[in-house]
Amino acid sequence: MSKITVDGLTKRFGDTVALDDVSFEVPEGEFVIIMGVSGSGKSTLLRCIGGLLEPTEGSVRIDGRPTASDDDDVAFIFQQHNLIEEMTAYSNALSGSLGRNGLSASLLQLQDDDEKYRSLEALDTVGLLDEARSEVRQMSGGQQQRVGIARALVQEPEVMLADEPVSSLDPGSAQEVMRYLRRTTEDRGLTTLTSLHQVNIARKFGTRFIGLHRGRKVFDGYRNELTIDAIDDIYGDIDTEGMFVSDETGARNDPAEPTEDEAAP
Amino acid sequence: MTRDVDSGGTDPDRSDSIDGGVARADGGVASDTSGESAGRDGDVDRQFDEIAIARKGRWLGYAVVAVIVTYLFLMALETVEWFRADLPAYLGTFAEALQDYFPFLVFGEGPIGVAFAPAGFLEYVAFIRERNLLYESGFFAGADGVLEYPILLFTQTGGPIRLFGAAGETLAIGFAGTVMGFPLALLFSILGSGRVTPFPFNFLFRGTMSAIRAIPALVWVLIYVPLGGIGPTTATLAVATDTVGNLGRLFTDELEEIGDGPVEAMRTTGASKPQIIVFGMLAQVRNSFIAWTLYVFEINVRIAVGLGIIGAGGLGLVLSVQQGLFAYTNMMATIIVIFLLIVSVEMVSQRTRAYLRAEEEPMAAIQLIVGFPERLMRSLLK
Repeated sequence: MSKITVDGLTKRFGDTVALDDVSFEVPEGEFVIIMGVSGSGKSTLLRCIGGLLEPTEGSVRIDGRPTASDDDDVAFIFQQHNLIEEMTAYSNALSGSLGRNGLSASLLQLQDDDEKYRSLEALDTVGLLDEARSEVRQMSGGQQQRVGIARALVQEPEVMLADEPVSSLDPGSAQEVMRYLRRTTEDRGLTTLTSLHQVNIARKFGTRFIGLHRGRKVFDGYRNELTIDAIDDIYGDIDTEGMFVSDETGARNDPAEPTEDEAAP
Repeated sequence: MTRDVDSGGTDPDRSDSIDGGVARADGGVASDTSGESAGRDGDVDRQFDEIAIARKGRWLGYAVVAVIVTYLFLMALETVEWFRADLPAYLGTFAEALQDYFPFLVFGEGPIGVAFAPAGFLEYVAFIRERNLLYESGFFAGADGVLEYPILLFTQTGGPIRLFGAAGETLAIGFAGTVMGFPLALLFSILGSGRVTPFPFNFLFRGTMSAIRAIPALVWVLIYVPLGGIGPTTATLAVATDTVGNLGRLFTDELEEIGDGPVEAMRTTGASKPQIIVFGMLAQVRNSFIAWTLYVFEINVRIAVGLGIIGAGGLGLVLSVQQGLFAYTNMMATIIVIFLLIVSVEMVSQRTRAYLRAEEEPMAAIQLIVGFPERLMRSLLK
C-alpha cells in the first residue's frame, strides 16, 4: 500500500497556477527527490503534502488520511532551518516532541526522560551530540540544518518532508546534510520527500525522482531513467549537460559512490 | 502676508537658476560636434534643469515650513505668557536660591566670584540622614550584634527594599508596579497579535492598550483615589496600569517582527496552539521582552518619583514638602538622592540588557564580581 497518494493536486494563488494536476504515489520507505527550477512548484507541492497549504483541487492522502499541519506523523525540514535561534540545539531538538506533551510539561522541560534521551540520540545521529548545549544562532548553516533534522527525528514521524534543505549551504555542508538525511531515513524506515535544485546532489543521493516544470509533473522515475533528456525536460533549455558531466566525473572519484549504487534499485 | 514676502524673496533666486541652466545648455551645444552626443547632452541638460527646479521647489517648501513653525512658536510663547512674565526681575531671588541649592559654593568671594566650601556638603548629608532618604537608620536597631544583621535584613518588614528608606519606597512603587503590569502586558500583546487573534478582534486588545496609554500614570492615580486616596498603594496600581499600556505596546511591536519560520515549524511538529505561541513566538522574543521590561522598570521608577510629588510617598513627597517650605538645600539633597537612585537603576538595567544582547558566553560569577569596578566606570562614562 502506498504511503503517500497525491491525486490530481492543483494549487492556484490567484491567477498563478503553482501546481497543475499532479498525481503520484510513493510506497513506504522510499527516498524521493523532487526536482525543478525555482518557481516550478516544488515548495508548494511539499507544503500541500505537509498540510501547510490547502489544495485548490485534488487531494493528498497519507496512509489514506487527508493531511493536516498538526499531524505529528509528518515532519518538515525547512530551507531556512526555522529553528528557534535563542534556544540550544538540545531545546530545539526537544521541541520536536511538542505534539506528545502538554504546554506546562514542555514549557518547564518536564518531559519524560525518554523524550530527553530521544533528543540527545537524534543529535547524536546527526553528529552534534557535543554541541547539544550550544545556542543555535552560534552554529554554522550546516550544523543548524542538522539540528533541524534532529528536531524532525524527535517527532518520530513516518513521513519526512524536506523543502530545499541544502540550498542555503555550501557544497561540502550540503553533501553532509544530505548524507545524514539519507542515512537516518534509511535507518528508521521513513518515507522521505525532499526538494532539490542541484542536479548533481540529487543524482548522488536520490533513488526516485519526480520532476516538476511550471507546476506540471514532467518526470517520474528511478535513477537509471534519469537521463540527460529527462533532465532537459525538467530544467528547460539551460545547459544541463555541464552539470551532468561534472557530476559523473565527480561521482567516480567519490569513495562513497559504491554504497550509493547499492542503495539504488 | 508673511508668505508673500517670503516668496518674493525666493523669486530672484529662481530666475538666477534658470539663467544658469540656459547658459550651460548653450555651452553644451557649442562644444558638440556629432549629432548623437548632441542628443545625449540635450538629455543631460533636461535632467539638470529638472533637478534644479526640483531643488528650488524643495527650498521653497523648507521656507514655508520654517515660517509656519516660527508663527506657531510665537503663538505658543504668547499662550504661556512668556512676554508678560518678568524673568529678569526675579534673577536676584533665583541667585539667592542658588546659594541655598548649593551650600558648598559661596558666591561673591574669591578671585572668580565663587569660593568652594566643602563643609556645605554636610548640610546635604545631614538632611539625607535625618529623613532616612537613602538608608533607614533604625533598620538594624533591634539587632544585638552585627551577626544578626543578615537575619534582620530578611525578617524585617519590607526586607532589603525598606533598608533604603524613602528611596526604597519609591523603588518599591516602580518595582511592584512593573511586576504587576507584566503579566497583563504579556497577555494583551499576545492577544493583540494578528497571528493569535483573528483580524478585527485583535484590535480589541490593541485598542485597550492604546486607551490605557492615552492616560498618563499621573492621571491614573487620580482615577484610583476612591480606593483610598493618593498613597503608595494607589500609586503602585497606577504604575501597573501604565505598564500594561506601554510595555504591552512594546511587546506587540516586537511580536509583529518575528519570523514566520519557527511558527510554521512548530505547527508541523503537531504542537497545540498554546505551544505554538510559547515555542514559535515567545521563544524568539524572550531576550528582547526581558530587555523591554527592564527599560519600562527604569521609566516606572521615574514615574514613581513624579507620583510621590502629588502625594504617593517616597522621595517625591519629601521633595514637594521641602519645596513648600522653601528649604532649597533640603530640596537639592532630595534631588541628589533621586539622581543616585535613578542612575543606579539605569546602570543595573543597562548592564543586564547589554549582557542579554551579548553573543558571548555567559560571564562567570567571579568575573561578575572582579570586573565590577571596570564595568561601573564604563557605564558611568557612557
